[in-house]
Amino acid sequence: MSYLDRAMIVLTLVGALSGLVGTFVVLRRRVLFAQALTHATFPGAVLAAVAGVNIQIGAAIASLVLVGGLALLGRVRGQGTQAASGVMLTAGFAFGVLLQALNPNIPIHVDSFLFGSVLASSWNDALFAGIALAVTVVVLLIAGKQLIFAVFDPRGYRAAGFNERGMDVVLLLLTTLTVVAALPAVGAILAISLIAAPPAAARLLTSKATTMLFVAPALGVTAGLLGLTISRLWAVSAGASVALVAAGIFLVALGINRVRSGARS
Amino acid sequence: MNFVNTPATPVALELIGAAFSYGHDVALDEVTLSVHEGEALALIGPNGSGKSTFLKGVLGLLPVTAGTMEIFGAVRGPDTARSLGYLPQSDEVDPEFPVSLEQVVMMGRYRRMGWWRLPARADRAAVAEALRLTGLTTLAKKRFGLLSGGQQQRGLLARALAANPRMLLLDEPFNGLDQPNREALVETIRVLKGEGVTVLLTTHDLALAREVCDKVLLVNGTQIAFGSLADVLTLQNLQAAFSGFQVEVDEHSVVLPGHDGH
Amino acid sequence: MVFLDSLTTAFALPFMGRALIVLLVLSLAAGVIGVFINLRGLEFLSDGLTHAVFPGIAAGFVLGGRDGLYVGALIAAIAAAVVLTLLSNKRVSSDATIAIVLTAMFSLGVIFVSRSTDYAGQLESLLFGHLLTVTHTEVVVTSVVAIIALLLVVTTFRGQLFVAFDRSATQAVGYRPLLLNLTLNVAIALVVVAASSAVGNLLVLAVLIVPGAVARLATRRLALLFVVSAGFAMLASWFGLATAFGLSVSADVAIPGGATVVLFFVLGYLLMLGWRGIRR
Repeated sequence: MSYLDRAMIVLTLVGALSGLVGTFVVLRRRVLFAQALTHATFPGAVLAAVAGVNIQIGAAIASLVLVGGLALLGRVRGQGTQAASGVMLTAGFAFGVLLQALNPNIPIHVDSFLFGSVLASSWNDALFAGIALAVTVVVLLIAGKQLIFAVFDPRGYRAAGFNERGMDVVLLLLTTLTVVAALPAVGAILAISLIAAPPAAARLLTSKATTMLFVAPALGVTAGLLGLTISRLWAVSAGASVALVAAGIFLVALGINRVRSGARS
Repeated sequence: MNFVNTPATPVALELIGAAFSYGHDVALDEVTLSVHEGEALALIGPNGSGKSTFLKGVLGLLPVTAGTMEIFGAVRGPDTARSLGYLPQSDEVDPEFPVSLEQVVMMGRYRRMGWWRLPARADRAAVAEALRLTGLTTLAKKRFGLLSGGQQQRGLLARALAANPRMLLLDEPFNGLDQPNREALVETIRVLKGEGVTVLLTTHDLALAREVCDKVLLVNGTQIAFGSLADVLTLQNLQAAFSGFQVEVDEHSVVLPGHDGH
Repeated sequence: MVFLDSLTTAFALPFMGRALIVLLVLSLAAGVIGVFINLRGLEFLSDGLTHAVFPGIAAGFVLGGRDGLYVGALIAAIAAAVVLTLLSNKRVSSDATIAIVLTAMFSLGVIFVSRSTDYAGQLESLLFGHLLTVTHTEVVVTSVVAIIALLLVVTTFRGQLFVAFDRSATQAVGYRPLLLNLTLNVAIALVVVAASSAVGNLLVLAVLIVPGAVARLATRRLALLFVVSAGFAMLASWFGLATAFGLSVSADVAIPGGATVVLFFVLGYLLMLGWRGIRR
């Protein structure tokens, strides 16, 4: 199997995973949090590389530190979650940059952090993404209905006597898992692109949550494979190409949505 | 058209066959009414019937797509806009927002002060007067977010009053107010009317409408009835406006469907 | 002590003096604008703007070198501010759309840069600036752009405050929210442009959002907010720059100036957070 086939497998897995989890992230408006996660994992990855351990482990630990930090920050009055996420985001990034500057010999560079290196992804990356996808599917099979309820109608969810925070924690963990699984292969920018664009497009195409959960991963996989193909054809960065295709899919969905709502009125 | 008890004051607001639209969707049409200076008009109708639309139309946020509307004898424009004061439907204010009540009320003077001029004596006097009218003088230096919901509502009213409006538009001003705040607001509206200020307000509370309003506009996407309280608030009219809802009317009160109901 | 020494004497060196001037001007503009970013919760939109300006910087750099950078950045900044203002106005789940614009624009920038020869080196310089090698011309351009951004917000101050406090009544009072939003977003984008040579495209976000957050923790008095925000940004810049210099000289490692300054911002934020936590 060539490196190209391996890249396709990784992108398929990551695209499906991001589409699934992204649906909840987008509906719950937690994209900024996901963005903060991607940036805060940077110093974790650098430290892991310096220490010689698996990068995903470093990134996962950094994510958990961030989640804990945000939970603490949320308790300080006058500190919006937006501000807290924003500060964590830039703090993580600056720290990563500094660590990297101090250890110029490690293989993690800023551009590979931002855009990953799909074409150089390993079987290890594919395995990790596959496990993450399997875990997510299992979680959704068990608690999917609850999650959809909580995200679509938080008030009703609370009124029905469910614990909203519990669902938020599940969503938080799934988001973290997705980011950690996606980062080494596709990088921070592309991870956010795949978490936000396919679900946002799916949202424009359907108003049913369950349909979204099939459409969004399908669009994510499409963006990955189409983007990779285009990047081969025109010899441009694979990560950038996939991100642009994802944005293009969103634009097409926006167009379809406009035409439909125009036809209705 | 009936003009029972037409007072001697000039006409403040006059609409003839007016319609207001959001884009292509007509939200309220066939409105014909006139309100005189110093009068209060109650807008009554179910949710989504066009009450807030009417206020937005008068404010100039929605176009008049049919008929005519005149405010103080002039077509709506920048000059008429300056004579209007507006109290939006209360929504949650960030309790941590770093402004004092006095600073919020001063915002009502911003349009007169332009971008640069520092507050002059007249501005400070208007703020003090607005605070006095709403009974909030002692709370002037307090952070706005620390006030109770009712006090915040009155604070926003004071902001509208600080601009010395000739016509005041209140969107659901009694919503969520406790009894003392409700009475304070009713009293403020009475004083304002005495000073010749015209008041337009939307409400679900017919008892309050009876207390302070002179005229009623009953709407449900279109005008159902307009006129004096006694003429308009009949069981027949109310059933037409609230078709599909349970409406009970007796001599003193009308029980309307709940505000939050769908 | 090397550190105390570098707080003052280091800035007698011309390149350190230039770096300090650029940071102080940026701190002033971003400090004031940052208060509004915080009051209105525009952190993510600011993040979107920083990334969206990047293709302009990249294209300008590829086509016109270091001087062309500003031209491209300015064009992209205005365009991005307009697009994001319109998008956030439509409310198509705005944080997802911000993310999509952000990633798409950033990808375009990367594609531009990857067309030029020295890919990795240039990318890093564009992303992180070159604080210690800022030229005289760059000082002038940065200052002018930052001052324009500051003036945009100062002249519309009352309207900005009104929108931030109570969006629903803004239009009824006679302000134009769309115009006010556009002004603020253009101002944010101009700070991004101004900062591109000094702290680079990725770290400017810290300059925009951290001082405002610190000021919100420090005071609840409106007038003080702006003073604290800008003052904090200036102090942290000064300390950060001096530390980067001191460490570089004494420990003989190349410490990136921009990142050190940002870490001082974050350090100040954490200290303020601790102080608030104790006082509570």
